[in-house]
Amino acid sequence: MLPDELLETLNDQFPCRELQIRRLSALYLPPFPSPRTLIVHGLEATGKSSIVKGVLETSSLPHAIISSRECLTGRHLFERTVASCLDALDAHSGYKIDRKPYCRCENLNALVIHLRGMLEGRERFVLVFDGIDSQREAPPTLLPALARFGEMIPNLSIVMIVTVPHPRYFYQSGIPYLHFPPYTRDESIRILSRNPPQIFLNAPEPALEYTPDLAEEDNLWVWSRFLAAVWDALAKNAARDLIGFRSLAEKLWRPFVQPIVDGTFGTRDFSRLMVHRRGLFQSEECLIDSIVPRSPILPPTSTTTPKTGPSILHDLPYYSKYLLCAAYLASHNPARTDSLYFMQTSTSRRKKRGGGAPKTRVSKTPKARKIPRHLLSPSPFPLDRLLAIFRAILPDPVPQTADIYTQIATLGSIRLLVRTGMADVLDAGGKWRVTFGWEYAAAVGRSVGFEIGEFLAGGVEG
Amino acid sequence: MEQKCYIYSPDDSDERASKRRRIACAAGWSLREQLYGEFWAPLEHRIQTQSTLEEADSTTLEKIIKFVSGAVVAPDRQEAVIPTGLILAGSSIASHRSFFDRLGRKIVLDTGSTFVLLTSGECLNLKALVKSLIKKLTSRVGGNDDEEDEEDEEDENHTGNVSRIGPKLRDYDLVRLQEWYSKTKVDSIVVAIQDSEAFDFSVLAEMAELLSSWMDRLPFLLLFGIATSSESFQSNLSGAALRLLKGEEFNVTQADDIFEKIFCTTVGSPEVSLYLGPDLSRRLVDRQKDHVQSVQDFSDAVKYAYMCHFYANPLSVFLSQSLAFGEMPHDVWEATRNLPSFRRWVNTLLEDGRAKEVRRLLESDRYLYDNIKHHIASGQTAMFKLVSATSVLAAIRVIVQKVPHVPRSSLYIRSTSGELNGSPLIREMLLMLSKVSSDTFSSVLTSMELLQNSYVPIDIAVYRRELDALIKRNPNSTPLRSQHDVKNNSLRTTIVAQKVQLSKHKSTLSELDSSYSELVRRFHDDVENYFEETLIDPRDLFLSEILLYDLKSPLSEVFAPKPRFAIERALSSPHDYLGCDCCSSSEGALSGTQPVTAILYQLYLESGSIINVNDLWMAFHAIIGEENDESESNAMALFEQALANLKFLGLVKESKRKADHISKTTWKGL
Ligand SMILES: Nc1ncnc2c1ncn2[C@@H]1O[C@H](COP(=O)(O)OP(=O)(O)OP(=O)(O)O)[C@@H](O)[C@H]1O
Ligand SMILES: [Mg+2]
Repeated sequence: MLPDELLETLNDQFPCRELQIRRLSALYLPPFPSPRTLIVHGLEATGKSSIVKGVLETSSLPHAIISSRECLTGRHLFERTVASCLDALDAHSGYKIDRKPYCRCENLNALVIHLRGMLEGRERFVLVFDGIDSQREAPPTLLPALARFGEMIPNLSIVMIVTVPHPRYFYQSGIPYLHFPPYTRDESIRILSRNPPQIFLNAPEPALEYTPDLAEEDNLWVWSRFLAAVWDALAKNAARDLIGFRSLAEKLWRPFVQPIVDGTFGTRDFSRLMVHRRGLFQSEECLIDSIVPRSPILPPTSTTTPKTGPSILHDLPYYSKYLLCAAYLASHNPARTDSLYFMQTSTSRRKKRGGGAPKTRVSKTPKARKIPRHLLSPSPFPLDRLLAIFRAILPDPVPQTADIYTQIATLGSIRLLVRTGMADVLDAGGKWRVTFGWEYAAAVGRSVGFEIGEFLAGGVEG
Repeated sequence: MEQKCYIYSPDDSDERASKRRRIACAAGWSLREQLYGEFWAPLEHRIQTQSTLEEADSTTLEKIIKFVSGAVVAPDRQEAVIPTGLILAGSSIASHRSFFDRLGRKIVLDTGSTFVLLTSGECLNLKALVKSLIKKLTSRVGGNDDEEDEEDEEDENHTGNVSRIGPKLRDYDLVRLQEWYSKTKVDSIVVAIQDSEAFDFSVLAEMAELLSSWMDRLPFLLLFGIATSSESFQSNLSGAALRLLKGEEFNVTQADDIFEKIFCTTVGSPEVSLYLGPDLSRRLVDRQKDHVQSVQDFSDAVKYAYMCHFYANPLSVFLSQSLAFGEMPHDVWEATRNLPSFRRWVNTLLEDGRAKEVRRLLESDRYLYDNIKHHIASGQTAMFKLVSATSVLAAIRVIVQKVPHVPRSSLYIRSTSGELNGSPLIREMLLMLSKVSSDTFSSVLTSMELLQNSYVPIDIAVYRRELDALIKRNPNSTPLRSQHDVKNNSLRTTIVAQKVQLSKHKSTLSELDSSYSELVRRFHDDVENYFEETLIDPRDLFLSEILLYDLKSPLSEVFAPKPRFAIERALSSPHDYLGCDCCSSSEGALSGTQPVTAILYQLYLESGSIINVNDLWMAFHAIIGEENDESESNAMALFEQALANLKFLGLVKESKRKADHISKTTWKGL
């Protein structure tokens, strides 16, 4: 066993993991033997990597941790392993090993040989493969082979960190497992409430007799209650893992405490604050991940600036917009309805949704088509169909210039349209597909005064 | 390998050369070539400088720089978030490269960061992406010292002192970058993705994951160039990847705004020496809005217009200011006398009873030369005034609000077509002008003072002085109202009625107001006269053919070719191209004398989307056999050849659904 105070620090650092920390430190305590292979498993952000690392660092065993996220190929993994082991051994023993024999390491066999070579006559060495189950371009036998390394090399202990341990991975039984269960509500709240964010960003004026200690206390008090509220309202269903929960809470924190900063509520008026800011927990906007923080997470009282539409719309050339509309229609309307919707000859174009023919068909087979077309995934269409629809929906005819074809190419290179299939570019039968959704198409159409919904087979709900 | 595409490059035959010579001897070709150079070069320079100015869009660049230098990685974080900038660069993807190049230079100069630009072509998968990232960064020579260091290392490598080096690193191993970083110690490594949409999004997500796991050792910063919108870009990335990226978005000036500015400062500015006519300008502007948004394309089009004017119009020599009578080519005089504008002018002279002058114009080249010289100068002045008036109009309209916005390019087009004088646009503006309050009036004056290189005969300074004097006498802070503005007047009187203590100022106020109204009225009249004088129809000017270039067809032939239309027309009515006697009789109908591919194509047009080959053959044989009694095997050979041609053109392919059928892949007229 590790000295108690070391365990204590680890437990302080990672609360709610006493059991796992105790087991790990018992298994990797220098004078006692360690298991040849250990499989640590658990879902995302359950502390596997951090705790294994923490325990190994506190014990004085030489070890190396290889993260599969950073290895692009199997060979990369092997070479990184060799290099990290050499580094770790160098650091541990204090003198440099001649690396000449370890220059090449192409496959698992070479890895065994190298490891055996460098560990010859040394004390025990722990090698951790973190996230090895998601290694890119891994040889098929990677996991079972690694699981046997411990048998082949006497003083090597392997730890594999995986998400879900599938017995099939390892082809052998009797390997010890260590499970990191997901955190419960109370555990999550307890872990996250260890470092609460500030309520007041600027330090309060000293005259107010609001000392940093007091502020600290208030921060913790509000934050832990806030965490519970966030969990119950949103995270319980949508962001159960620690990182998702934390980022969600951080996103909501500033708008939540804004009334306190403004002085509307005191720091301990939690229940009134909750009522006042309940809008935050009702809207699910904040659950959508985005790179740019969506600034107005609308507290219902504040006046938010109306969200401006996609800024791109002003920028596309006029005919490109029509091309996009035509492409959207070509992707979502069945080809057989084209004559109904786009025939120039029928003077009264079918503008009203669900008139005449489609309606009767629907009534004949009432259960046949329930899903509105714009919710289905786009289907591929030949280029000429796009062009035909394009000409049908244009208010004024446009000459057949190369400009139109150039624009299709441009839309292709910004991936609003994509070619499907790996067909040759000049192949006559090439097909295309749209990559954007209904909202975008409708906005593009509206910017040139074209109501795309009127031409969508079956119409649009809402 | 199968060759899918041929480039047709005919030899420069003698015929072509002789053609050129014929033009050359027509009228001072080399003179005009030189003139073209003189006229085009300054304009081209202006377009280039202006476009870089506008595109560089210094405020956006500044913002990005600030973001780059301000992005710090929170050190206490375990799972690192990569600072990310989304650069909404617009859909004119051709200009993205130059934008990112400029951005890169500026980042390297102004911050302690280094910059790499990645494009989709070199990053087909994660490995390739990381490879080129490492290669681009490490191959950059930081300075002489660095270089030597590297050489030293290489030496060690060779001299067998390998023990320190250990396993050789893969060229996609970020450890290499770590070594490089430990030497250079840049503030951050800015990785810019030029065409984010063209990337495989799973590669971008993997990249985010990989780079973020290195964030504790390497300070990455990502910039994504986005052509569509940030929403649609983000919707393509997985939530896990998005959670690793946090940052801001930046808007680059949109292409159409840039174009409008460039148009105004170049083609639409008063001081160009060859003016583009309304039809052509409209074509250029529309093309930018409808089809392409590219300054380069615009510049090319204007260049081509200049070329056409000088190369194809012998009379353009008159635009030269220095050419003496003797240096003129001989045939220009007759040509001038045939100009429509010459005839119009002569007719007006005759109507005025100046027959003698007309006679001299027709007989004496010298006299004609003097007149031309005079009219070119006066015509250029008139054009200058006209375009100046356009910019004055635009300037006033911007200030006198409540009038709908009309882009300056369209004002230019209307003014050069002579539509503006007395148009509702002007009347409306003058009406608004007569109602302006003193603060608006002051800004109108300011904006007119700011107009450079324009013809403005109104003495702004006088108005400014008088206005200032009036404002000084104004006792309260509300601006002076013009009496012509009825609505405001009544509004103020009600206020006055409410506030009793104001009533004693009333007499002075109304006196002030009336002198202000007088001032505005004078200004209004001046502006009205100014527009009356300057807004002429340039096409009425003598020699307008030379002052103004307004031919659309050369430009549209070159810049908007119709490849598909040409092929379809050639196949469906070959007579248009062949001009042969045999087919002319049967205009628009099938006949056996037409080329076989054309015959087959017309049959193809008549059939449905799936064609039975045998039916096609029967029809074909019937037509072929009708004219010249070919043997069946010959006809079959012709048929197969024609069918192969159609297939080669991509018009048909084998049908998968039915045997012995081909399916139609194109329709005429699309
Ligand atoms: N018990 C805990 N106490 C404090 N922090 C924790 C605890 N468990 C996890 N964390 C924090 O959560 C984050 C994710 O942890 P870690 O990377 O160790 O999880 P993991 O199980 O390895 O996840 P993955 O399966 O995605 O690799 C880290 O920032 C870590 O500090
Ligand atoms: Mg982990």
